[in-house]
This record gives sequence, C-alpha cells and structure tokens, in this order.
Amino acid sequence: MKPNFIQKVTNWGNFPIVEKEMKSEDSFKKIKEFVLNHNEVIARGNGRCYGDASLGEHIFSTKKLNKFISFDRLNGIIECESGVLLSEVLEIAVPQGYFLYVTPGTKLVTVGGAIASDVHGKNHHSEGCFSEYVIEFKLMTENGEIITCSRESNADKFWATMGGMGLTGIILTAKFKLKNIESAYIRQESIKAENLDEIFRLFEESESWTYTVAWIDCLQKGKDIGRSILMRGEHAFQHELPQSMTKNPLRLKKKFQLVVPFYFPGFILNALTVKIFNFLYYKKQTKREVKDFIDYETFFYPLDLVHDWNKIYGKSGFIQYQMVIPKKSGKEGMKKILEAIANSGNGSFLAVLKLFGKDNQEAYNSFPIEGYTLALDFKVNSKLKKLVDQLDAIVQEFGGRVYLTKDSMSKSSLTNYLKNVQSSKFVSLQHKRIINNK
Amino acid sequence: MIVLGSTSEVAQAFVEKALQEGEKYEKIYLFTSSKETTERFARHLDVKFLQQAEVIDLDLMKEIDYTKFDHINSNVLFCAVGYMGDGTEEGLYDHRNTERIIDINYAKLIPLMNYFAQKFESRRSGTIIGLSSVAGDRGRQSNFIYGSAKAAFTAYLSGLRNYLFDKKVHVITIKPGFMETKMTEGLPLNPALTAKPKQAAAGIYNAYRKQKNVAYVLPVWGIIMMIIRNIPEFIFKKLKL
Ligand SMILES: Cc1cc2nc3c(=O)[nH]c(=O)nc-3n(C[C@H](O)[C@H](O)[C@H](O)COP(=O)(O)OP(=O)(O)OC[C@H]3O[C@@H](n4cnc5c(N)ncnc54)[C@H](O)[C@@H]3O)c2cc1C
Repeated sequence: MKPNFIQKVTNWGNFPIVEKEMKSEDSFKKIKEFVLNHNEVIARGNGRCYGDASLGEHIFSTKKLNKFISFDRLNGIIECESGVLLSEVLEIAVPQGYFLYVTPGTKLVTVGGAIASDVHGKNHHSEGCFSEYVIEFKLMTENGEIITCSRESNADKFWATMGGMGLTGIILTAKFKLKNIESAYIRQESIKAENLDEIFRLFEESESWTYTVAWIDCLQKGKDIGRSILMRGEHAFQHELPQSMTKNPLRLKKKFQLVVPFYFPGFILNALTVKIFNFLYYKKQTKREVKDFIDYETFFYPLDLVHDWNKIYGKSGFIQYQMVIPKKSGKEGMKKILEAIANSGNGSFLAVLKLFGKDNQEAYNSFPIEGYTLALDFKVNSKLKKLVDQLDAIVQEFGGRVYLTKDSMSKSSLTNYLKNVQSSKFVSLQHKRIINNK
Repeated sequence: MIVLGSTSEVAQAFVEKALQEGEKYEKIYLFTSSKETTERFARHLDVKFLQQAEVIDLDLMKEIDYTKFDHINSNVLFCAVGYMGDGTEEGLYDHRNTERIIDINYAKLIPLMNYFAQKFESRRSGTIIGLSSVAGDRGRQSNFIYGSAKAAFTAYLSGLRNYLFDKKVHVITIKPGFMETKMTEGLPLNPALTAKPKQAAAGIYNAYRKQKNVAYVLPVWGIIMMIIRNIPEFIFKKLKL
C-alpha cells in the first residue's frame, strides 16, 4: 500500500467538500520541503472555519505542530506551536490563574487559526481582537524562509497576517499574553429583550461589562423582531463566589471531560441539541433577569458541550453567515436583514448578535469594525444562494463587511478588506472564489 | 521513565497520559534518532507538566556506547521502536530494506532492551512495556518481513516476562492494530479499526495500571487476530491478506 494524501476534506459547515492533498509534518525542514515542492499551498488548523478558507490544492495541516515552547508563569506569557488548540492552552493556564484575553465561541481552534482569522470574542468592545495580545510569531514564507514577526520586526507581515486567512504564509509558532483571573467562574446576568429596540438599548447600557452577547430568535416577525436574550459577564473574583465554588476556584469539576469523547447517533444528538438550544433561547428563562455564577466552559463554549453538533444539519451541510454593519445605521440594517431572513423562510437555528467596539487600524485585515454583528447558521439548500445574495446586498448598502472565516458563498465586494496578502504560493479556494467573483 | 522511540506519537501520548494521571518521574529519558523534534517534546513536557526530561541521541544502526547510559535509573521502560520499511512489492528483494527492518525491530533493539532489563532485574522492580504488532501474529504476504521481526519481538517479550517474573519485574506486550500515526499517514485505513494515538495511549496506560501481560490496543483486534490465526494453512496460503 502506497500512501495517498488525497482525501476528502471539509470544514465545520460540511460545505464545500473537496478532494485534495492534505499533509502534516512536525519538522520545520520537512515543512519547508512541502512549501517548496508545491505551487499552491494553504495552512489548515482545526477546520473550525465554516467554509472554504482553509481548503486549497495542497493543504498543510498544522495538526502535528502541537507542542508548547515556554510559559512564563509570572507574567502570563505563553509560547507554543501554531497547531496547539486554545483548549490546550486553557488546560494549563486556568489552574495557574490565567485565561485567554480573546476567545471565540469554541475552544477547539488552533492558535494559528486564531491569528489568521484574528478572532474576536464577547469582549470585542472592551478588549479587541486576538492580535492585540500577540507578541510575536514565526512565519514560513514563500521561499521556505522562517521569519519572526512582531510590532518591531517584519511589522508589515505581522499586521497583514492578522486576519490574513493564511495567505501570507504558514504560522509555525506564536507567543502571546494571557490575562489574570481569580477563578474559573463567570458572574453572569442574562436579560430578556422583547424586540430590537430593547436589545440595542441593553447592549449600549452594558458597555462597561467585559463580555456581552445576545442569542436572538430570528424567526420572529413584526413587532417581535429581535426578540432575544442578552448575556453579560465578568470573571468572578474569589471573594464573590458562592460557597460551593470556593474550595477549588481555579479547577472545574470533572463532568466536562465526560461529554465529548464519542460520536452520538443522530437521534440523540438531535434531542440533546434541541434541548440545549432551547435552553439558550428564549423559552427556558422565565424571569426577565437572571443573575448567577457559571463555569467558564458553559459561559464561553456552550456549543462545545455537544460533540459534532455540526452534523445535525445533515449531509448537505450548512453555512454560517456573519456580517457587521456600522454602528450608526446598525439598527436599521439589522432590521432589514432579519426581515429578509424571516421572509425567505430559511430559518436559522442559531443566531448571535453582538456590538463590536472600535477596530484596530493597524490590523487592517481583521473583520471587526465598530458596529453590530450578527452570525446566523443556514442549512444548505437550493434557495440559500439567493438569500445570501440578498443579505450581501443589504450589508453592502450599509457599508458593512462579511467575516471571511465563516464565508463560503459571499461576493467579493464585501470582502475587499483583505490587503497585502497577494501570493502565488499561498492560495485558498476561498481566495480564488473571491477573486473570480469580481 | 525510559522511552525508546520517542518521536512515536503513541509514545508521546503515553507519556502525556501518565503525567496527566498524576504519575511523577524523577526524569524522563527520551531516546531518539531525531533530536530536533524530541527536544521540542522535552520542552513541551516541561511547560505542560513541569516534568524534567533528557534527550538521548540514539541510532540503532550505529555502534552503541552503553557507558553513556550508566546514569539512567528508572522503573518504567516504554519501547515504541518500530520501522515498517517498504512492503512486499517494493522491498522484498531489496536486501538493505530487509536488513533495516530486522535490525531496527529486532536484531539491534534486543541488546538495548537487555541492557535495561538487567538494570531492572538487579533492582528487582519495574515494568517493561513493549509495542509489538498484530503483524507478528501470523505472517501475511503483504508485510511478512516486518511481521516476522515483530513475531520475534513478541516471542522475546514473552520469554522476558517469564524470565523476570520471579525477579519482580513485569513485562507487557502491546499489540496495536492500525494506528493513525506517521507510519500509516496517507493509507486508506478503516476508521473503526484504527486507533488515534491518544486512544491507544489510554488503552496502554490501562494495561499498565492493571499489569496485563498481553493487550491489544483496540479489543476488536483480539477477535480479528484470533480468526486470522485459526484459518487453516491450506486456505490461508491462498488468501490475499
Ligand atoms: C462553534 C464555533 C464558534 C465560533 N465562534 C467564533 C467567534 O466567536 N469569533 C470568531 O472570531 N470566530 C469564531 N469561530 C470561527 C473560528 O474561530 C475561526 O474560524 C478560526 O480561525 C478557526 O481556527 P482553526 O484552527 O480551526 O483554523 P481553520 O479553520 O483550519 O483555518 C482558518 C483560517 O486560518 C488559516 N490558518 C490556520 N492555521 C494557520 C497557520 N498555522 N498559519 C497560517 N494560516 C493558518 C487557514 O488558512 C484559514 O484561512 C467559531 C467557529 C465555530 C465552529
């Protein structure tokens, strides 16, 4: 049997599926050979982007770049290889009293993927994107050279790579800062909002909170449009924790390790997922306002508790459509978007709304700009492309942007913030699609 | 802990598993033919578990200077050394391929194993874990050079277990089936029969805790190999396995 590295590869949305070469190496020398021996290469982390961003002719998987390099426990500075997952960082950081400054809604992404997408979290308005906390990284460029990029050296590459979607090269290692925490728990408040006006007001009122996000029921029409639950949170100090959590405040109970390991049959997954979603959605919360302490896993990563939840959308897969509309016309834009969705009959199971703070001008390839961002999941079907075109048109009308790391269908005009990344070597299917879409 | 074949993903996963379970070692000795990647692993262990590790360069195909190992003292030995070589079609009549397979999996490995076995014997304690292969359970046309070297290794472990029994040293034979590792990357393996390194490490750790004698990584392989071993030779010789 001769090895054959051509295989079916697909990302989190199970759309599109391609048959391409995918290879992984752990020696820098071999990675260099891989880069030099192929015309078109793209890096892939854990495939948690939804669409075609980390797919290409020759995919370099960072799966084997999974080692830690150093951890300055005094100053909270960690260095690791790019294929290390954020969950692995948390595993060693949290018991030491540290947390990620910025985390996406799943911890199963790699450090390389977090940089290449310059991910944001529930705290964008207060703490910005992942890039703010990156001190330096090593990048393999087109000629197989390894360069160190920071704000001081190779600054142009440093900034182009933030949100550069892997088009500037392969990130090999990265060093970044962590934040101090006193406990593994979050002091949370969740507040029901009847409609868009109310949820926008709540967001603006909550600006002093570190974390805010809203789960929105996007199937509502008319006066109920924008019915949602706002969640806001702070890392809990030890002194404020309820008794039951004070014994080992930086360690979570074991139950979380039990959840993930095996593949659920479809019917269980469905029942479970629906339960969790309903819980997160409007129905479960009977009081208008609930205050409590919850562990960080439940607060930041509710979806990770259900292994392989992406499979509920079936074989045809799904897309996530995430866009941002500038703040001044945010409400008007969102209303139009929600109306278009409700009218299309293309329901979204999961919809998340969030207010972004000011963008970092230096990280010009990052997706966030100040404004309202909405992320929606849609099952792929024959009507979907038409809806995406409609949504794209609304986003364009309001001067917004589409998030590339979740995109697999949008128009190039909305994605033109991708600058200084032209390369004939590092090419993704997404980039080709966007360029040809002109 | 002494690890022979430290670049093996299963060996690395086993070390991590043991440390996660709270095992502590004065030092972990990582024997390797690939210094760069093993040094990265040693640093990783230090960052993740505050565990000291020493990287020891070793090329089984070269003369070994045993005096360099005098300082090594431990009571677990994990041997993941293995070399598959080229399969029958490409490699059967290539004598260098044949020699290399036999040397790495058996001929050159055994004296090294013996060196440490003797240390364990004189201390009257310890566990030796050897990764053999299901390929050693019966010779099949597709890889019987490798399989025969592993069969020899299996027999060696069995004899060593017997010999060390009343010297209070335990020997465990692990027989992995397919594993998702560098050795098998790019091969079309059946996922139900293929263990991921972490999964394999958990199974091996379990065998270690329970002080098993012989264990398959995935239980299903025990059944498959029982069937394969029992096919009568006059039928077996006609099969394309
Ligand atoms: C449930 C869920 C929730 C999410 N929530 C959020 C959220 O709240 N905020 C947010 O910002 N994102 C969110 N995401 C998206 C996710 O954070 C990003 O897509 C992230 O980049 C995925 O990382 P990955 O390691 O899986 O990389 P992949 O998906 O494999 O790749 C993503 C991009 O990074 C590039 N890349 C990966 N590794 C490297 C490397 N070593 N060098 C160079 N380029 C590389 C790829 O080429 C590709 O362009 C979410 C995703 C899921 C599934």
